[in-house]
Amino acid sequence: MALDALRRIESHSVELPGDAAPADAEAAIEGADRVVIRFPTFKDGRGFSLAALLRRSGFDGELRAAGPLLPDQVDDLLRMGFDAVDIERPDGPARNRNTGGAPYIYQPDPGAVTARPTALQIRALAARKATAEALAKELDGATPEAILIRAAQVYGGRMAMLSSFGAEAALGLALVAEIASDTPILFLDTGMHFPQTLSYRDRLVKHLGLTNLHILKPDEAELRNEDPDNRLYDRDGVACCDLRKVRPLGRALDPFDALITGRKRYHGGQRGDIPAVEFDGERVKINPFAFLSPQDVADRYKALDLPRHPLAEDGYASIGCWPCTAPADEPGSRDGRWAGQDRDECGIFDPARAERAKRAGAVRLI
Amino acid sequence: MYKYDEIDRAVLDARTAEFREQVHARLSGALSEDEFKPLRLMNGVYLQLHAYMLRVAIPYGVLSSEQLRSLAYVARTYDRGYGHFTTRQNIQYNWPALVDIPDALDHLAGVQMHAIQTSGNTIRNTTTDPFAGAAADEIADPRPWCELIRQWSTTHPEFTWLPRKFKIAVTGSPEDRAAIGVHDIGLRLVRNEAGETGFEVHVGGGQGRTPIVAKIIRDFLPQRELLAYLTSILRVYNLAGRRDNMYKARIKILVDAMGPDAFRDAVEAEYEASRGRAMTVPVEEIERVSSHFAPPAEGGALTEIPTGTQFARWRAVNVKPHKVKNRAVVVIPLKAPGATPGDASAEQMDLIADLADRYALSEIRVSKEQNLVLPHADKASLGDLFRALDEAGLATPNFGRASDIVACPGLDYCNLANARSIPIAQAISTGLHEAGLDDATGDLTIKISGCINACGHHHVANIGLLGVDKAGEEVYQLTLGGVGDGQAAIGKILGPGLSADDAVTAVIACVRVYAEHAQVEESFIQTLNRLGTDPFKEAVYGA
Amino acid sequence: MKTITANRLTDGRVVYLTPDNRWTENADQAIRLEDDATDAALDTALLDVLTVVGPYPIEIDADREGFAPAGRKHVRETIRLTGPSAGSTKTGVAHV
Repeated sequence: MALDALRRIESHSVELPGDAAPADAEAAIEGADRVVIRFPTFKDGRGFSLAALLRRSGFDGELRAAGPLLPDQVDDLLRMGFDAVDIERPDGPARNRNTGGAPYIYQPDPGAVTARPTALQIRALAARKATAEALAKELDGATPEAILIRAAQVYGGRMAMLSSFGAEAALGLALVAEIASDTPILFLDTGMHFPQTLSYRDRLVKHLGLTNLHILKPDEAELRNEDPDNRLYDRDGVACCDLRKVRPLGRALDPFDALITGRKRYHGGQRGDIPAVEFDGERVKINPFAFLSPQDVADRYKALDLPRHPLAEDGYASIGCWPCTAPADEPGSRDGRWAGQDRDECGIFDPARAERAKRAGAVRLI
Repeated sequence: MYKYDEIDRAVLDARTAEFREQVHARLSGALSEDEFKPLRLMNGVYLQLHAYMLRVAIPYGVLSSEQLRSLAYVARTYDRGYGHFTTRQNIQYNWPALVDIPDALDHLAGVQMHAIQTSGNTIRNTTTDPFAGAAADEIADPRPWCELIRQWSTTHPEFTWLPRKFKIAVTGSPEDRAAIGVHDIGLRLVRNEAGETGFEVHVGGGQGRTPIVAKIIRDFLPQRELLAYLTSILRVYNLAGRRDNMYKARIKILVDAMGPDAFRDAVEAEYEASRGRAMTVPVEEIERVSSHFAPPAEGGALTEIPTGTQFARWRAVNVKPHKVKNRAVVVIPLKAPGATPGDASAEQMDLIADLADRYALSEIRVSKEQNLVLPHADKASLGDLFRALDEAGLATPNFGRASDIVACPGLDYCNLANARSIPIAQAISTGLHEAGLDDATGDLTIKISGCINACGHHHVANIGLLGVDKAGEEVYQLTLGGVGDGQAAIGKILGPGLSADDAVTAVIACVRVYAEHAQVEESFIQTLNRLGTDPFKEAVYGA
Repeated sequence: MKTITANRLTDGRVVYLTPDNRWTENADQAIRLEDDATDAALDTALLDVLTVVGPYPIEIDADREGFAPAGRKHVRETIRLTGPSAGSTKTGVAHV
């Protein structure tokens, strides 16, 4: 009771007319934790768009629809980002309504906090999963060249490669250069790389004739807020990876449905049984090197006469950011990554979408 | 053609069940008429002069034979044995009882049809080229995109309460047969220099009280961005379109008031802010939808040597080239002399469905000229098809000719109309026939609207008639020079308004001027441009 | 002289108000109102929301004994009375 009263005093509530101009509305709700949009009539749909814009601008307080609205509009209002709807006629239409709304949606919920997958996405993901599984079967045990050529046939134009330009990166880049040299190469410039990695990157791109390098940097505002002293890695390694790798990559991945990786089964851990092509719940991972042995890799380096990462000579088997990379005993091993921490992946490849991947198959397509 | 999956079915079933509840709520008094009206309208139910009217969406004008039979069933069971095909590729029933409409909609849902958003201030049925997927000059098939727009626009949570209705047309051919210049949004499929397919985006066209030709706001939109971009246009319109005056509420007024450049900037800014993976059409979904619209297999060669002038004439006028070998596009004009434009009886619908099964891969189209089309007819069977159509009075060789008249229902049925359209169309058609003018001319469009809402598309008719109410009497304004397809143009008023009888005489006189002065292969517009309006003015109003 | 017309809620058919506040499809039974009595009759009719939709007054010819729409909307009201004058489902007279 006391707490509740306190909240009411502290809460800053703003009421907007349903025909407020978006710019005025955004200014007016500055600092508010509760916004009421008052619809002039139930036929005036401006408040629907306004709600979506307020949610997009970052407003995450309570958004309430008020005015002479119909119960039939509640589902749509919720989809637009409203949390609550005041119906003016408590004595009015009380009908057996399907308040759960439509079973599926054709449009992304424009303002909802948790986005439901649309019909288009549900179908596309089911198809993407089926294609990936068929390709995995077809390409089981295949050579890197065979895997990449086939992948380029299926995913050309929406396929990219993520490269750390680390100890074993050259092999994958050489393969891409040979088969599809204009494939976008995504490099996460965390700001924490060894200088040797950056110079190696530029040397390798030139040497191989890759024509489409994308350098991805952390968002500057996020960096200022979350890691002002550049020591986040000391306090929270997972958060540091999230800030410098996971989020920048998330944005850059938007146009792509397939990613070429350099992962190999012999890396161990979660990679021990990766297939040639796999579905991660949203995208497809192409693993041309999945089936190579450490010896195969060594042979290929030898045959191609590729430049080696300068640090590989110093015993670094897997190279990432300098604070979290140490030399390892086994060549090709990832034991030197996050040494002393209880993890072996940065989050980029973490199968966090496994649940969605499973669900994607749940819709039968007829 | 597109087949629903279980998602589409579930969405439609939920909506059909919801509308049944809404009808029940109105009948029981839980909903007032003021509340019910917008709900029934967005489910295609109007209240007209004599009865309710049910407008059923024919998605982008594409029908299977099974669907056409179901339309015939509804006509027979819930109406008076007829349906009226409209200028927006839909069908209207003029006599259903409100209490029966939920049952009729259940029946239609069984063949994947509905009346959702065929009225109201919503995004209406998307229209396209009736020859889509068949036209010899097509760059890309517009139907997969129409289907994606259909799904995106259906029960859209944000765009159900727009300032005014909203119409989108798509064309995939250089020769526009979808009148994209007079739609709220017109989309033309184009290829860029890299060979990629995308859309040229036209916005702010329309007819009605203020006819305006649409402006191009984007030369090339990558195809996967279509829904994101449409969303941005609709959002700008939903927020900024006028709501104080229904005659100034269409997007054309907003585009005009802001200026095309400012409007484009607003749309592009919104698009930049809202685009992203969630709004991009997945490649797999494009492939899935497109797989429903695979080109037809080749037909058989035409073996029958056309004998008799009737068959030859029919073939020359009503049969159009197809992009697949030994297939042909066959137009079935619902325009016999003296007929009601766009009306088809249940028996005619059943017959055409049977002929489609037998000779044309079971597919039928509805055109905005209120005709039916067999888009994939087998050339080997053209002779049989002609005889069957001719026997049923459906082989009038007048597609695109003077007597292929377009007319709205007018004051005989419509609550908004100020004057009648159908009897005028019938009298002109009969008069042209009696004067031997119905097939003596080249391309010519005559269109009649019974009020300024322009459902009869008179603004874009070569010869247009607009019915108005002048002190309680029906008076008709005659316009010349309008064009709907291609480079759209708005017709210009020729002179003072005419009585019904004089309007009929005047239109026939204009056709006669054209017939007498046309050079070989010359269309009405070419003749008009060459001669100017004077000879027509003289024929109508005297010296 | 005026009467009150509307469309029936259940099926949309044209109906007219009778002197005893019922609704009929038979125009000959329609109430005949002096102009100054119209508003009161309309107010009563407007309450009948479960029977009819959108009642409104129309002008009728006072000099004719039978029911005959008059005034500016006479064409429209005649078509409502007798059915479409054209079209495949016309039920009324050929010409107004």
